[in-house]
Amino acid sequence: MTKDVKRKLTIGAIFGAMGPGLLAALSGNDAGGIATYSSAGASYGYEMLWMLPVMTVLLIVTQETAARCGCVTGKGFASLIREKFGVRRSAIAMGALLVANIAVTISEFAGIASGLALFGIPATVSVPLAAILIWMLTMSGSFRRIEKILLIISCVFVTYVVAAFIAGPDWGAVGLATFTPGIQADPSYISLVVATIGTTIAPWMIFLAQSNVVDKNASAEDLALQRIDAISGSVLADTVAWFIIVTTGTVLFPAGVKIADAADAALALEPIAGQFSTVLFSAGLVAASFLAACVLPGVTSSAVCEAFGWERGADRNWSEAPVYRGIITAIIAASALLVILPGVDLFQIMMGSQVINGILLPVLLVFQVRIAQDPHIMGKHRNGRLWNILTWAKIAVITVLTAVMFVLQAMGY
Amino acid sequence: MNYFSELLGIPVIDSTGEKIGIINDLGIATGEVFPHVTSLAFQGPGKTPFMISWRKYVDHVDDDGVALNCPSTDIRFSYLQPDEVLLARDIMNKQIVDTQGLKVVRVNDIKLSSSGENQLRLLGAEVGARGLLRAIHPLLERAVSRIAKSLGRPLSEDIIAWSYMDLLERSIKQIKLSVSHKTLGELHPADIADIIEKLDPRLRGQVFAQLDTAQAAEAISEFDDDELRSEMLEGLSDTDASSMLALMDPDDAAEIIDELDYAKAEKLLRLMGVKEEKAIRMLLGYAEDTAGRIMTSEFVALSATATVGDAIEAIRELDDDFESVYYVYTTDPAGALAGVLSLRTLIVAERGERLRDLAFKDVVWVAPDLDQEEVAEEMAKYDLAAIPVCDEGRHILGIVTVDDAMDVMTEEHAEDLQIAGIGAGDNTTGESSHTITWFAQRQYWLIVWAVASACIAALLGGNASADPLFIYPMAFMPVALLASARMVAFVKNYFLEYDRPEDDTKPYLGFFLQNTLMGAAIAAVVYLCAQLVSAAAFPDPTVLAARAFQLSALAAAGTTFVSFLTAVVYLKVLFAREERDLSTSGTALSLTATCIAAVLFTAASTMALLALVGA
Repeated sequence: MTKDVKRKLTIGAIFGAMGPGLLAALSGNDAGGIATYSSAGASYGYEMLWMLPVMTVLLIVTQETAARCGCVTGKGFASLIREKFGVRRSAIAMGALLVANIAVTISEFAGIASGLALFGIPATVSVPLAAILIWMLTMSGSFRRIEKILLIISCVFVTYVVAAFIAGPDWGAVGLATFTPGIQADPSYISLVVATIGTTIAPWMIFLAQSNVVDKNASAEDLALQRIDAISGSVLADTVAWFIIVTTGTVLFPAGVKIADAADAALALEPIAGQFSTVLFSAGLVAASFLAACVLPGVTSSAVCEAFGWERGADRNWSEAPVYRGIITAIIAASALLVILPGVDLFQIMMGSQVINGILLPVLLVFQVRIAQDPHIMGKHRNGRLWNILTWAKIAVITVLTAVMFVLQAMGY
Repeated sequence: MNYFSELLGIPVIDSTGEKIGIINDLGIATGEVFPHVTSLAFQGPGKTPFMISWRKYVDHVDDDGVALNCPSTDIRFSYLQPDEVLLARDIMNKQIVDTQGLKVVRVNDIKLSSSGENQLRLLGAEVGARGLLRAIHPLLERAVSRIAKSLGRPLSEDIIAWSYMDLLERSIKQIKLSVSHKTLGELHPADIADIIEKLDPRLRGQVFAQLDTAQAAEAISEFDDDELRSEMLEGLSDTDASSMLALMDPDDAAEIIDELDYAKAEKLLRLMGVKEEKAIRMLLGYAEDTAGRIMTSEFVALSATATVGDAIEAIRELDDDFESVYYVYTTDPAGALAGVLSLRTLIVAERGERLRDLAFKDVVWVAPDLDQEEVAEEMAKYDLAAIPVCDEGRHILGIVTVDDAMDVMTEEHAEDLQIAGIGAGDNTTGESSHTITWFAQRQYWLIVWAVASACIAALLGGNASADPLFIYPMAFMPVALLASARMVAFVKNYFLEYDRPEDDTKPYLGFFLQNTLMGAAIAAVVYLCAQLVSAAAFPDPTVLAARAFQLSALAAAGTTFVSFLTAVVYLKVLFAREERDLSTSGTALSLTATCIAAVLFTAASTMALLALVGA
């Protein structure tokens, strides 16, 4: 392909550039995400739908900044943190990221286990099998191939759209609710809002979005294409989320069913919306968890290796990048083991990870915006004023809401 | 003040003793091999950044801060010059990539060195774990390095010299690791070989390609590792490889060609000039590790009737890459070796004098099939810088020079050390004498003993009356284990001191008989001692405990005897591996022997004791 053709915004070029942002945003709809959206719909009906357009804007800001940083500098987010903020702060950030991401990976394995349990496969079989499959995929060597396989898996998200149509909502009411904000001063409502933000914009997604772009060798010339990719990915991911809320809001909310996780939601759908929607819902859950579980160990290891300057990358073999592959293997093994081991309190681990992620997210966003503002790093592609305002506003909102949630939790709500 | 991270944040004090700010960066002038620090950036009150010239204003640096030589009012501020880079902004924490774009390390810290009163030079980037830990916190570095030291694996500093780093584009881009032609050209071939050997495999070819053929030829013959040598050669095109081999001393070239497979070797030989090909082929005709193989055909020999002037003229006309000339040999009309002259004799003598009047007649020479180790010994004995290699008619075939002889000595010495169980190469440094490593190498029998004891206890545990008896075999087992370790030590010594006779027969039978006798004697001593102890300890020799004690002693004595019977096998292994040119680790040998003894003893004693309680 010659350069001239590549620069043109043809449909082919756009599809060729697709992937990094799409994958990053879609893998955000993981086990935890589906659980959060399902319970948002089940507990408050359509009342939380208005959050999704807002979240989409915030997600676009984050993802676009990440993609832009990746294109301009050719470096991952962890690299930039290390170079701008030094060893000490990046060591702390990487430590927190490592712990939080292991906890999230555990929740993905738990998601796979509970999703497959609905099809009658016990956790002792499904989790080790999934772990081996994921390990083999991440070790298989080519980033492009991994990306393709994961994009195919993410097609399963269509199941949620189908499930929503099976549920047959009142589309007029849904449309209205999407654009009318309804805020409730209810502690559980606030914590659900925080959880929604936390699962839509997870710390690891920033790393993923940027490193995907870098791995694809995108440069500043590809910026336009990567922007389209980042925006469409964010919109698509939130559309899926929207359909999940619509489904549970239509079926479970009127029935007054309260649910704790995504498998609960799938089961609860059965008597009301029929067996088919349960199958769709749990297939989506398994695929989503699998997708995120494939992506998380690599992202984490990649970030840690980048921050400390070790060789990394899917196409590096064991002798070239021992630390990178070692960390991936350790994360997969540890989280799969913790899920199968009896007597491990998974709920405590999840709560802990939520707390760490909650603190980590605003910190990382501050890092990101300060990097993206820096003319020394970003040159002429640094943040515009609108992006700065949006990011700082986002940081302020997230910080306040997270603080409120911690206070509420401490007070025992 | 050796590290940049320690300098950051220390106060800047003017000549009146007033603190005017804290250091936040240093500027260096690029372009020097080890650049000077040229400017000082500091943060004044209210976070205002300032930059001043280091040369003009800095008086000295110590732990308390940077002292300036004038009051703050007299300072004139400067700007960053185009050829300057800032250490914290442009170099600290940056990724260093090697010449092929693979990420190697990050700059964790920067090592500086003070030269003179107020000068600081940049030495290089600290890229290892120590720098990383120091950057997190100096206390952490101290703690970890202390722990590492006490574990016998001290953390070393990993520094990449500034001269190897190439700051391509300033600011955000990565730092390239450049191993430039210029830097390499100034090094000695042996140093180049060392550098290449230490490099990452992927970098090697790259660096090697930067050498010209003559340098490459020199460097490749300096490699210690045979595999690496042929690997480097495989990477070259046939023409390049062939012309490189032709440039080498024929003995080095022969050694390398011998490592290659037949087809490749033939191809390379055919590509080079007739003269070189002939010289190398002649050397290849001799067996490995003999004088013929390590000799060079590049020597100066003249008829005994020639004059000193002829000799000097002959030396003058030699090629540049001719092997060093230490001696001039003279030949009689039949071409046989007649005498030798040192260069000194030639230089001191009158040009018209005949060589035969000056030559030393009683020349020491060796046959081409003599073992290389003996050649080296001959040279050491007669203090020669080169020794001629002659056929039966005393015709000179070549000479062995002192550099090749030294290689032989080092090689043989390393082999001997390794068989003796000391370990060659990197382990000969003081670290391996550290307790844990030392324990693992020498006292592993304790672990074998513990494991085997556990096995015996488990085997006897199945039988209620045999269960308490496990203590007796456990107590006797060390005898069997240590005896087997001694046996291996004996074999090793025998092997190292063994002088090979001419017909190359191995004295296996004699060795076997010798060991059988020794094993019988030691086994008898063990058994008799046990009898004495048993008589003293157990008044009634028929109780179960007394019987178990005696049976265990018998098992220990038996195992000892069997161990010594197998000694000849170990000797055979050592000889066989030597012939195939494999190195053998003494520790591995004795570990094998100890484990075999443990298995034998465990089997014998448990069966005996189970039979005892069963009866």
